[in-house]
Amino acid sequence: MSQTAIEHLAGMRIAGVETGAQFAERVNAQVATGCGPISVVGPLAPLLPAGGLERGHVYGCTGDAATSLLFALVASATSTGSWLAMVNMARAGLMSAHEHGVALHRTLCVSAENTSTTMSQVLGALVDGLDVVAVSSPACSASDARRVVARAKAQGAVLFVLGDPGGFSIDASFSARTEQWQFDTHAHSRTVNVSASGRRVHAHRSFSVQLPIGSCS
Amino acid sequence: MSRSIAIVFPQWMNDHGHLGEEHAFRMFEHVVRAVTALSPLVEVQDLGTIVLSARGPSRYFGGDTAVAEKLHRLCTDANTGSAWGVGIADSRFAATAAAHLAVSRGYPCVIDSAIGAEFLAALPVASLSRVGGISADTVDLFQRLGLGTCGALLAVGESALIDRFGIEGQRVYHLVSGDEVRHLAPGAPPSDFAHHVEFESPLANAAHVVSAARATIDTMINAIAGHGQQCVRLLITCHTDHAEVAGRIWGEPKGFSAAVVAQRLLFQLEGWLTDSAADPDAPTSGVVRIEWVPLESREVLVVQPLLWGGNQENTERAARAASMAMAVNDTVQVTVPRWSGGRDVATVYSRVPIALVDLTNSDAGEQRVHSGEGVARDWSGSVPRPSPASVAAEPPLIQVLNHAGTSIGVTGRHELDSLPARVEVGNQKYDIMRVAGPWPVEERWWDPRRRRRQVRMQLLVRHQQRGVGVFLVGLENQLWTLLARYD
Repeated sequence: MSQTAIEHLAGMRIAGVETGAQFAERVNAQVATGCGPISVVGPLAPLLPAGGLERGHVYGCTGDAATSLLFALVASATSTGSWLAMVNMARAGLMSAHEHGVALHRTLCVSAENTSTTMSQVLGALVDGLDVVAVSSPACSASDARRVVARAKAQGAVLFVLGDPGGFSIDASFSARTEQWQFDTHAHSRTVNVSASGRRVHAHRSFSVQLPIGSCS
Repeated sequence: MSRSIAIVFPQWMNDHGHLGEEHAFRMFEHVVRAVTALSPLVEVQDLGTIVLSARGPSRYFGGDTAVAEKLHRLCTDANTGSAWGVGIADSRFAATAAAHLAVSRGYPCVIDSAIGAEFLAALPVASLSRVGGISADTVDLFQRLGLGTCGALLAVGESALIDRFGIEGQRVYHLVSGDEVRHLAPGAPPSDFAHHVEFESPLANAAHVVSAARATIDTMINAIAGHGQQCVRLLITCHTDHAEVAGRIWGEPKGFSAAVVAQRLLFQLEGWLTDSAADPDAPTSGVVRIEWVPLESREVLVVQPLLWGGNQENTERAARAASMAMAVNDTVQVTVPRWSGGRDVATVYSRVPIALVDLTNSDAGEQRVHSGEGVARDWSGSVPRPSPASVAAEPPLIQVLNHAGTSIGVTGRHELDSLPARVEVGNQKYDIMRVAGPWPVEERWWDPRRRRRQVRMQLLVRHQQRGVGVFLVGLENQLWTLLARYD
């Protein structure tokens, strides 16, 4: 009897669920082939089981500090050579992105009509060539969204969805909630409670962090 | 040999370059357009150098001296605040060198054909690198070889120069002999690499034309690059639907890339299409056809530095993906950030269409976003770090109220007239917990028509359901707006 069949009989393998050992094995194999997770800054690494953003995954950012958290999560990727596209995020503060460490010379700002067809084609084209694509409230139907995710998986891109995910099924969702602002002569940093949840996160992870990262309290 | 007129502004980049090369080019465009009133086809050889053929204008205005004085007066009237010189001589190189002489003399320098050869022979070799586009290393070598003047180089002979310096040696010989291969004749034969693009409907917006033409520019530059060449002089001609034509020759000593061609096309179109009220030559219709005729190309002398760019593969993939995304339909726009250093939080970075930049040039990319580094950001009234993560391009109107429910105002000394208690954004009500500021911003206070007075504040607010947040609000013309949120 094959190993797989034994595992199946023993209840060790359930579709869509992997054990910690299997997960570690998969991540190690990816790292060995150069398709390892995209690194994030140290303080945020505990959010992610693989220690970085896994290629082909769809991440969500919610909460009142969602934009800042997005900048913090992608900063390390862009400064090590990956490109970032921000789709329909006309309000994103570029100065703030710069302060979080996002390399603006590897950043594209894309605006497109928010219909399922256009948006899925644009996102599809972008995930083909960029490592990180962030989109705000895409109006993609579930089938179009699946097509985009399939292309992202094939090319090893990471997709961030802010706001309403529409048809996208989120692998892991990060929630950033401001706990406290350090506000004296001006607002100079804040404590944000960041938590990760979702079907690709093994246990609910939650901790507090200063944003922007590295700012003194 | 073609008699040429050169107008040079040697310090243009120093005097006008503080806001970047693009701004300097736009400023220069005013001078170029003033010169085109005398002679329609001019060549912008470099930033600060205009060359035109002497034959037509000289006959029309009655001799070289007359035309030189006319141009000199024209530059005086243009009042650019930068030193200039006008020179006329038998070749483009000699004319440019004469113009540089004229800068310090303060009046035009016209070199008669009879003494043209002696003038060239007496020029120091340093002018070859300053105005002739020969590399400084080569010129340095000439000097160490004891060849101090162009006359000495001419005596060395063409074959010896080619033996020792290859293609560059041949160019040196052409320059010093005054026998330039370049022609500045309007009827120059079209080269094999000439390209054109036609639009189905006339386009009146310069940026739209450039976006629509970008693919053809890429094709042309790639075709030239495919022959191991790079274009250094290019004639761009634009036609409108009413058969109006505007041509301009552009020079780029470093060789044209597609982004540079697109940029020059934009400058040319902006100068021509806008400002139509004052200009009798302004077009009355949109652009329907653009032609590019490369006039001079040379072998790629320098190996492109991109090969050592490190993450070049990522960059090329990204550039391809961006153009694929653009191709989806007309609603898609891809832009890249550029530091523009505005005082408003929304204008610190502007967004430039990718048609105007070369994404694969990582040095230019870093310069684009980081040219503001080193500038002090904590000027009085600046918004302190950290910057807001959500910035409204068109800030919505809000109400900032005191305890009594009346709107807050600011005194002439930039002090709040009462304590703010509540903010209303649409129908959402927020309680104000802390206030930082107000920070006044005054722009052009000396100019009664264009002056601008604004006050900004940071507010720590609390909403019944949404919890705490920080707003950046501004007061201008008695109206409060929500400039940004610290999301």
